[in-house]
Amino acid sequence: MTSRSRARRRRREASLGYFLLLPAVAIFAVFIFYPFLRNFVLGFYLNPPFPNLPKRWVGLDQYREILGSESFADSLKTTIAFAFLTVPAGIALGLALAVAANRKLRGIGIYRTIFSSTVATSVAVAAVIFSMLFNPIVGLLPWLGVNPTPPIIENPDLALGAVALVTVWQTLGLTFILLSAGLQAIPEDLYEAAALDGAGATTRFWRVTLPMLSPTLFFAVVVGSIHAFQSFGQIDLITGGGPFKRTNVLTYSIYSELTTVNHAANPGKAAVLAIGLFVITLGLALVQIRVLERRVHYAR
Amino acid sequence: MGRVALAGVTKKFGDVTAVDHLDLDVADREFLVLLGPSGCGKSTALRMIAGLDELTEGTITIGDRVVNDVEPKDRDLAMVFQSYALYPHLTVRKNIEFPLRTRGIPKDERAAQVATAAESLGLGDLLDRKPGQLSGGQRQRVALARAIVRNPQAFLMDEPLSNLDAKLRVQTRAELVELAQRLQATVIYVTHDQVEAMTMGDRIAIMKDGVLQQVGPPQAVYERPENLFVARFIGTPPMNTIPGELAGAGPDIVIGVRPEHLHLGAVTGPGIDATVAVIESLGHERHVICRLADTTMVIVRQAIGVDPPAANGPVRLRYDAAHTHRFDAVTENRIG
Repeated sequence: MTSRSRARRRRREASLGYFLLLPAVAIFAVFIFYPFLRNFVLGFYLNPPFPNLPKRWVGLDQYREILGSESFADSLKTTIAFAFLTVPAGIALGLALAVAANRKLRGIGIYRTIFSSTVATSVAVAAVIFSMLFNPIVGLLPWLGVNPTPPIIENPDLALGAVALVTVWQTLGLTFILLSAGLQAIPEDLYEAAALDGAGATTRFWRVTLPMLSPTLFFAVVVGSIHAFQSFGQIDLITGGGPFKRTNVLTYSIYSELTTVNHAANPGKAAVLAIGLFVITLGLALVQIRVLERRVHYAR
Repeated sequence: MGRVALAGVTKKFGDVTAVDHLDLDVADREFLVLLGPSGCGKSTALRMIAGLDELTEGTITIGDRVVNDVEPKDRDLAMVFQSYALYPHLTVRKNIEFPLRTRGIPKDERAAQVATAAESLGLGDLLDRKPGQLSGGQRQRVALARAIVRNPQAFLMDEPLSNLDAKLRVQTRAELVELAQRLQATVIYVTHDQVEAMTMGDRIAIMKDGVLQQVGPPQAVYERPENLFVARFIGTPPMNTIPGELAGAGPDIVIGVRPEHLHLGAVTGPGIDATVAVIESLGHERHVICRLADTTMVIVRQAIGVDPPAANGPVRLRYDAAHTHRFDAVTENRIG
């Protein structure tokens, strides 16, 4: 084949590739790229809360004002605290359950099903279950004879922890499944070799399981963090951002800016917050990939 | 180094008996090869010695100690796996060092022992690489280095050459024997390759369906197989087994003749009638594959200097009675 006909064939294949990509690009353009750009532009205006009313151009001032405000910083702090409460605990618990269920025992499938069951539970269902459990009148605590005052979800010091607990429980199924799949991919003979090399169960866990599982753990940390930064349903349903804005994470603050209940609602401000959240989440994911990847062992 | 003894060792998986009352005594510094086809129980036997599988019955003794209830880490054995089982996240140095670290050997001592083991296997330049950056042969040597870095009572090897290409396998085979001799090590080596068994072992133990068929020095097993299975399993090409009726020995007998002891004669002389089916030339010799009257195939080993028979032509097979083996057609055991 001559180099000219090879080049022609390559061009033809490339054209076909681009053509086949078109549907995906179109869907992304309509549902992701365009709304994203519109949202970015929206942030330049002081918008009235209702459509078809005149809006006022304020440009980057709005970005500066909102992203530099105390309420944004508070909301960001709450979001970071929420991520710290949910991600490490969720992964540690998921790992413990995955390791416990990764044994060849009779009936272990029942435990695996139970441990992974929350994956089939929606945020709304989880929120309803825990709202009942936290309920100061008919909940679990009064039934156990414990009756904290103020009730947990109204306590500024405990509310975020309570919502984090719901989140850990609700995401536990997915974390368990992810880590179980990772564990099952570790070749059995590595454990056998380690056992003969003198490693006890603890050494095997630290020296074989964890390093071999690190790509999966890394994935779980990145996905878990992004998920934590985007959590909304449980906060809306359980605490509504309160008490005293102590659970007012970034997603909830965006929502608050758009609700008609808020008479000073400003979609422009919500747009700025959304862009802020996007940049922070993207930055966080990139930092995690750069930092954690160096410590991750990919089996070859 | 130590002796390894198995007495009445049995392993059942549900209703399946993988190893059936295995008695085996591996002497100190002996190189014993456990040989048999896939699923014969040889790897299960090795895993029970290692402590990776529990025994259903019997006892295993390593040195002077019954180890049935001893953890693998406390059996003082080293094992080379078929897959090598190298830790992919650790460098070659750390892989070799692993058994020393887990035993709390001080750092300086560890470094010296790793250097010695790596040097003896030609791994000096590869110590900082990860297993993923090594060839199959190099990985195999790292697995060996990890096994020899401490001084265990015995080495267990589970088909360690099976992932190497044919040429490297022959070379590594010789290196392994040389290494075992140098270390004066007790080695229990599992393989399904009878050439490996014949060339490496001080003794070979042949298994079939979980049952030990014969144990002995390779040449003795080759010259005097105890049953038809061993006769057919040992030797390349394998021993020809001819129904007694065709060989004039009666229906209850099966006659075994090695290919090198079977000759092609003139059609008019005495012997067994056959038809040439295929002629395979190996360069240094020729294999003439013939079909007997009852469709049994037999192989005749022929020197290259001799004229080959006509393809698809009739031949008469001759053999010297002194070089035949007689087996009971029903029990398949050796007679006499």
